Amino acid sequence: MEASSTQWKGRAVPLREDLRFSTGRGTYIDDMKFPDTLHVALLRSVHAHARIREVDISEALAMPGVVCGLTGEDAARMSEPLRSLIPIPVQLDAYCLAYGKVTHVGEPVAAILATSRYLAEDALEKIRVEYEPLPAAVDPEAAMEPDAPLLFESMGTNVMWQDRFDYGDVDEAFGRAARVLKKRFYIQRYSSTALETFGCTAVYDDRREQLTIWSNDQRPGQAMPIVAHSLGLTHSRIRFVTPDVGGGFGNKRKAHYLIIAALLSRLSGGKPVHYLEDRRENLMALIHACNGVMDLEAALDEDGHILGLKVRDIADEGANVLNPTVHSILKLGNLTNCYRIPVVRYEVNSVMTNKCPSGANRGIGKPFMCLAMERMMDHLGRELDMDPIELRRRNLVPPEAMPYTGPSGALIDSGDFAGTLDKLLPLIDYQEFLREQQEARAQGRYIGIGIAIGLEPSTSNASAYMLSSGRRSASGAAEAAMVRVEHDGSILVLLGDVGSGQGHETAAAQIVADELGVAMDGVRVSPFFDSLVTPWLYATGNYSNKFAGTDVGAILGAARKVRDKLLELAAYLLEEPLDNLELAEGCVRARNRHVHRKTLAELAFVAYRDLLSLPPDMEPGLEGRFYYRPDIANVPDENRRVRNQLFASNAAHGVIVEVDPGTGGVTILKYGVVHDCGTVLNPSIVEGLVQGATAHGIGAALFEEFDYDAEGNLKATTFVDYLKPTAVEIPDVRMDHLVTPSPYTPLGMKGVGEGGAIPAPAAICNAVENALAPLGCTFDHLPLTPERVWTEIEKARASK
Amino acid sequence: MESPLTDAPTDTRTISVTVNGTRWQGEVEVRKTLADFLREDGGFTGVHVGCEHGVCGACSVLMDGEVVRSCILFAVQADGHEITTVEGLGNEDELSPLQQAFVDHHALQCGFCTPGMLLAAVDLLKHCPDPSEAQVREALSGNLCMCTGYAGIIRAVRAAAPRMKG
Repeated sequence: MEASSTQWKGRAVPLREDLRFSTGRGTYIDDMKFPDTLHVALLRSVHAHARIREVDISEALAMPGVVCGLTGEDAARMSEPLRSLIPIPVQLDAYCLAYGKVTHVGEPVAAILATSRYLAEDALEKIRVEYEPLPAAVDPEAAMEPDAPLLFESMGTNVMWQDRFDYGDVDEAFGRAARVLKKRFYIQRYSSTALETFGCTAVYDDRREQLTIWSNDQRPGQAMPIVAHSLGLTHSRIRFVTPDVGGGFGNKRKAHYLIIAALLSRLSGGKPVHYLEDRRENLMALIHACNGVMDLEAALDEDGHILGLKVRDIADEGANVLNPTVHSILKLGNLTNCYRIPVVRYEVNSVMTNKCPSGANRGIGKPFMCLAMERMMDHLGRELDMDPIELRRRNLVPPEAMPYTGPSGALIDSGDFAGTLDKLLPLIDYQEFLREQQEARAQGRYIGIGIAIGLEPSTSNASAYMLSSGRRSASGAAEAAMVRVEHDGSILVLLGDVGSGQGHETAAAQIVADELGVAMDGVRVSPFFDSLVTPWLYATGNYSNKFAGTDVGAILGAARKVRDKLLELAAYLLEEPLDNLELAEGCVRARNRHVHRKTLAELAFVAYRDLLSLPPDMEPGLEGRFYYRPDIANVPDENRRVRNQLFASNAAHGVIVEVDPGTGGVTILKYGVVHDCGTVLNPSIVEGLVQGATAHGIGAALFEEFDYDAEGNLKATTFVDYLKPTAVEIPDVRMDHLVTPSPYTPLGMKGVGEGGAIPAPAAICNAVENALAPLGCTFDHLPLTPERVWTEIEKARASK
Repeated sequence: MESPLTDAPTDTRTISVTVNGTRWQGEVEVRKTLADFLREDGGFTGVHVGCEHGVCGACSVLMDGEVVRSCILFAVQADGHEITTVEGLGNEDELSPLQQAFVDHHALQCGFCTPGMLLAAVDLLKHCPDPSEAQVREALSGNLCMCTGYAGIIRAVRAAAPRMKG
């Protein structure tokens, strides 16, 4: 078959979804309300850890407007325990509402359904809960101790997963090292906090025995089976619809709420049941990125080559019953970042604590792995008295080693890391900065530069969870799509992954327009996922940076099925040999005689109406469905090596900051990113995602923290005390691109959504440390708030 | 003796509000926020609620031409006033120059902050028709965008400024 044209691919076409979003006509989950919709309010735990002696909702049920309510006991009677999103080492009997005990502040304890949210919240005040407070496990290291309070007594420990991976002979490498350096790093709890919160609307139609759930859940392929299991419904009786999603970043998946709404919808007399988190609920109980502690130990030879690495990681899962271990597993993909480090020991500790459940957040574990590694490179540079950029260069995986398999089995399919770094230095005027820094220091100003390079693995391979759970469950990566030439010749595309701001409608239309030889305007991509019509599988959803890795293959596969059929039908009708036909300008036409043609509308007329004109053995219709899976996914080998993610983009970040020694305030003077995500389908989308993801990394580096007190109370529950960066703090990122196409994706594309978020915290921390080098300040905790920076400056000054 | 605050939360009052040029008169609960009123009673779902505590700016609307946060105003406070929501700026067939600039400069991703951003920018350009980059950043610093990192938004507002004059 001829290669598809590239009339639309590669162009910065404006995003078609922007038309409805810029006119306020997006349809988000809070807009999915229907006549007679009832509203849920949730009573949430005020304790981090407590036994529930009694929950009495009787007075609440008598309040005006209240329809019904649920307690944990009701949930345990009416539903099955929650299935986890991924296979996990220990199954926990958790329900959609706390049953028997609460394990974190903000955990839902009871639900009230009323005619308005106002009335439902009024009624919450009449619920009586008798708690027996228990000591809380808050610090993850303390939670690992044998005498720590236990979240789940049935586990006998708070350690969900403890393991050691010896990838190669690590002791031998350390034995012959010229130098060994060990450092400890911490990362705080933070979250990307999509501006739209998480919610759902559930309708139970008992005549047709169908439960419909509208939700901005990012992973309907996982959510549907969990809901079906808990409610005892077959999948065929559930319809799941995802409308416009107001940002996701991994956070939007919490089956608890879907099940609560679904249970209430069976009690509501057929009326729709709507639940939406308010911001306080969102900040204290949806998802935080794991806080963590990491000990990193590097062995080097005389010339600064890293011979081996020891990583001991503690991931604080909070009360995460849905997907604990996910942060630990994903670090396998960038354990050695972009470096050729032959042997690694990875010690995993995945620990439950009485805090908000951890879970997916832009990069999942990889930002911390990169933070530790790239901070380590700067420490090593100082230790060896070597330029840290030179040290990095000596250890980079070279382009000629691609595709490269790291010690954990992680695949780096492509990349030119030295090339990325080469482009970065002029982008941020590196040489000029070195001169400026001399002058600034002479004037008593503290300006500094930080470099971090980051691997950006994407497209998760579910079989990696065999390592943590010990059992075979889901495996591989995939997505599904449908392309249909409609009866009038217009084109409809359905995609399992509807996106949450990544411009999937535009990107998919660019691909299909080229495949079918039509203008983009002729291709409509449904903005909604709808399980009744959209093909889907377990892997379906918007996560893992997977558009390039799986979605493109699904779209292409579906479009090519239709394309082949259009050609075959036209060949029959035009009496032309197949290889003399092409798709262009909305027609199938003879290559050597363009007037000898059939429009798509003419072909569709035959395919759907004039059926006796079809070739006798041809099925009517012009529809292609395709379930795409990359063939490079594998299962763990006997040495527990696995490609846990499949395609690796990379980015080099360089940032110049000024630190005010009087206040500890950090100002970003210049920020540069060179990104390599392979072939670029739409430069606008790519640049937007890099800028946006970098802003997330800057937020984590300088502002954002979910801090808990010793009793497990969350100290940041509004955007007044959980600080997000604004337009004043986020600079325009200077951006450049390198294009090393993936040899394994259909168009050479690779993931793009995380390359800003992964290296940014490291780059900024390195820059602040570089600025304060005259004082000798070092930082092992983020965020670098003025208070934290000022305290270190004062300490350094006092010790001089 | 009656307290000066005589209304129970569920009491209602009759208000008259002009939204995007159309006058609306009816009963609202005194505790109902302006945001909920606009969304639920008016159907103006372009008013987005992001934090309900006046920080994120997603719910921004214009009241008598000045930008306000509809999540921390009560509907009754809008009695007798004129409100403009994003639906009053333009539609898909005829975007306002500012909306067109947002599309041209990829100033949005998920679109949830966009209505509030647009209205905050309208307010800025009314008071400051030719803003510097720093002025745009300052003026929009009360509106959070979690997706874009703001760069496209700043560019869009500056590009639209000359076309918004008069």
